[in-house]
Amino acid sequence: MSTKYEKEAPSYTMTTVMEEAARCLLCHDAPCSKACPAGTDPARFIRSVRFRNLKGAAETIRENNAMGAICARVCPTEKYCELACSRTGIDCPIDIGGIQRFVTDYEEQEKMDILRKGDSNGLSIAIVGSGPAGLQTAATLLQKGYAVDIYEKNEKAGGYLRYGIPEYRLPDEIVDVEINRIVNLGAEIKYNVTIGKDVTMADLKADHDAVVVAVGASEAKMLPMFEGNPYVETAVDFLARVKEAKGDIDNIPASAVVVGGGDVAMDVATTLKRLDVKNVTDLVYEEFDEFKASKKELDATQKAGVTIVDGYVPTDVDGNTITFKHRHLDSEMTIKTDLIILAVGQQVNTDNLGVNTDHGEVQHAGYKTDDEKVFFTGDIAQGDKTVVWAVRKGKEVAEEIDQALLGGNK
Amino acid sequence: MISKDLSVEFLGVHFENPFLLSSSPVDNCYEMCAKAFDEGWGGVVFKTIGPKHFKINEVSPRFDELTKEGTPFVGFKNMEQIAEHSLEENLHDLRHLKDDYPNKVVIASIMGTNEEDWETLAQLVTEAGADMIEMNLSCPQMTSHEMGSDVGTNPELVKKYCAAVKRGSDLPMMAKMTPNITDMVPAAKASMAGGAVGIATINTVKSVANIDLDRKVGLPIVNGKSSISGFSGKAVKPIALRFLQQLRTAAGLEQLPISGIGGIETWQDAAEFILMGATTLQVTTSVMQYGYRIVEDMKNGLMHYMEDQHVEHLSELIGVANKNIVPAEDLDRDYKVYPKIDWDKCIGCGRCYISCFDGAHQAITWDIKTRRPSIDTSKCVGCHLCNLVCPVGAITTGEVVMKPGTKGNPEDVQIESSRLTHPVQ
Repeated sequence: MSTKYEKEAPSYTMTTVMEEAARCLLCHDAPCSKACPAGTDPARFIRSVRFRNLKGAAETIRENNAMGAICARVCPTEKYCELACSRTGIDCPIDIGGIQRFVTDYEEQEKMDILRKGDSNGLSIAIVGSGPAGLQTAATLLQKGYAVDIYEKNEKAGGYLRYGIPEYRLPDEIVDVEINRIVNLGAEIKYNVTIGKDVTMADLKADHDAVVVAVGASEAKMLPMFEGNPYVETAVDFLARVKEAKGDIDNIPASAVVVGGGDVAMDVATTLKRLDVKNVTDLVYEEFDEFKASKKELDATQKAGVTIVDGYVPTDVDGNTITFKHRHLDSEMTIKTDLIILAVGQQVNTDNLGVNTDHGEVQHAGYKTDDEKVFFTGDIAQGDKTVVWAVRKGKEVAEEIDQALLGGNK
Repeated sequence: MISKDLSVEFLGVHFENPFLLSSSPVDNCYEMCAKAFDEGWGGVVFKTIGPKHFKINEVSPRFDELTKEGTPFVGFKNMEQIAEHSLEENLHDLRHLKDDYPNKVVIASIMGTNEEDWETLAQLVTEAGADMIEMNLSCPQMTSHEMGSDVGTNPELVKKYCAAVKRGSDLPMMAKMTPNITDMVPAAKASMAGGAVGIATINTVKSVANIDLDRKVGLPIVNGKSSISGFSGKAVKPIALRFLQQLRTAAGLEQLPISGIGGIETWQDAAEFILMGATTLQVTTSVMQYGYRIVEDMKNGLMHYMEDQHVEHLSELIGVANKNIVPAEDLDRDYKVYPKIDWDKCIGCGRCYISCFDGAHQAITWDIKTRRPSIDTSKCVGCHLCNLVCPVGAITTGEVVMKPGTKGNPEDVQIESSRLTHPVQ
């Protein structure tokens, strides 16, 4: 029996997924497929479902997106494929993420093994970081015949998928399954290795034909006024701690205040409610009409019973008592709470990695550095910071490496 | 993406896959056939070519659909006749299709009004380079009684016209049969006697699909009137499969090569036709609704099915189900199977209760407080209507019991069924 924290929303059944697929208009030149950053091609796989070809649907998803089962669960589809869906001209978009989840669950249930390792070309690539971008880069390169070593600083692979996204949205088991597919393709994952400390970039370059830096924004930001405060925990630490313990943590507070209004803040606030914290209040810099979190996450958070107060910034803190002021109105509030969680963004650390970032991003397009052997991808590359964009960037950097090393030829 | 050999040999011609466009509005010119080939179809039966003297003049509009609840195109009614392009244009298109797509199969469908027409058309399409001839003896909406299904129900005419085609061409030739007949076997045998080596079936079923309640006329309305015309699509699949079964089990026709037609839309439909004896498969209605692209999932799904069945060639599956469809008097009537309700799945809608009472044997009792059905085995006859109406797949097959006075062991009874024992989840 899974706990409230662990329990995923129910999936479709064969009957209900057909009902949902039957709503699809099977558009010409389908806008959903054009709107998927990773090229997962929803129009194609929904059509396969519609024509009762579930295995073909699974092939389309998997071949286009090595993180298919993960994207199905965590992608903010409302910003991409579902935003473009023609069905909105009638009522509401097709639940593309839900159909994708059904199909990838079926893929796993049938033990389908879709991706194929390419014939070896004798070249070897090192990837630094095993988040979604690093994993997709590995999957694409392996299919092209490269050998791939992934260097991961933690003891488990997956990056934010593993340590950041709560269990009820993305079960650990799904992350394991997706990573295993890539390991089965031939990826070698080296755990507990920090580049610059345990191994140098020079070592990686000496041992491989190219190195891809795929580190994400894994370090939490801190606001100066909260530094050293024993009541304060960062969202990154909190989410990792809860996920590691599968929600079984000690000292559940009676109340908590979350500061921040992105998807991470929503995950923190909802997680707190699922841990049975009675009063969860989220104070957000932005007002609702300029909210950063996806609408889906915001709705789910409000539905979970979190009080969200928009437009406020913390101005003072004294132990467990925080004062907030409204950004525009003459309004102030003081809240005393048991736990303060800061979800005010994350930052990138590319020290010793041979990649220069500013505001968490390399300041030029593409995936190349001045060093012809060093590439980068993922959140530090330009573009959205979502899993589906990580997949896109992983596919693109792999193509760029292939072009650089083999001119795209076999 | 899975890749398997879907090729078949049919009437001595090699097809890269069994999927063909049937002779219909979906393949009435070069551009349409070329696009279909590009999207993966194995061949086309080019829209029926008629004699020069027979002028085609179509009505407008000319289609109608049968719907049920929210589902469009349960069935499709069509009034279009044979190709409206000139004989020269059609022959030109056939020639160019064969030039540009030498590995695809181009089948010429022809229809004449007399022996001379048939012979001449056979000669012309052979000269144009067609790989095979299909004789259209079955279109139910021709404006002449010398053409179409009126001919196909007359074995003597069928034989005579087949012989005429054989005089005009050495190409392998199949006769396309009408389902508007009680028994297709005499017409099929007559066509073979005349020189056909295979059968294509079914053509459309004569129909009136809908009546306009205000105007008191069938649909589509053509200046205030309408006509009986051919019905196709998913709704006719059971009728088509029945004819395949009757042909393949008729004495002397056991190995009959068949091009199966009638409501094919998914790989599952395709597999059903193959298991019932079809070697090639013809499709129109679902192409009219969704486009040529549907062939992608039919091909891919069929490949996965072959893999699951451990089959290397489709020929291993042709007609495999025929032997398992027997006369009603030969079925085992010594036992019954009770349904079983899965309480974890039941959502308490009561549809099984309603259907059992109103449509079966009042064998389900309903607990008004808990909103749960239960099965009264003293009344249950094991008809399994409840299984079919359950919206959540909560009702499956349960205990098998022998009827009083019969011998036999319930454990020996084969009730395994993808529908009844493994319902959709």
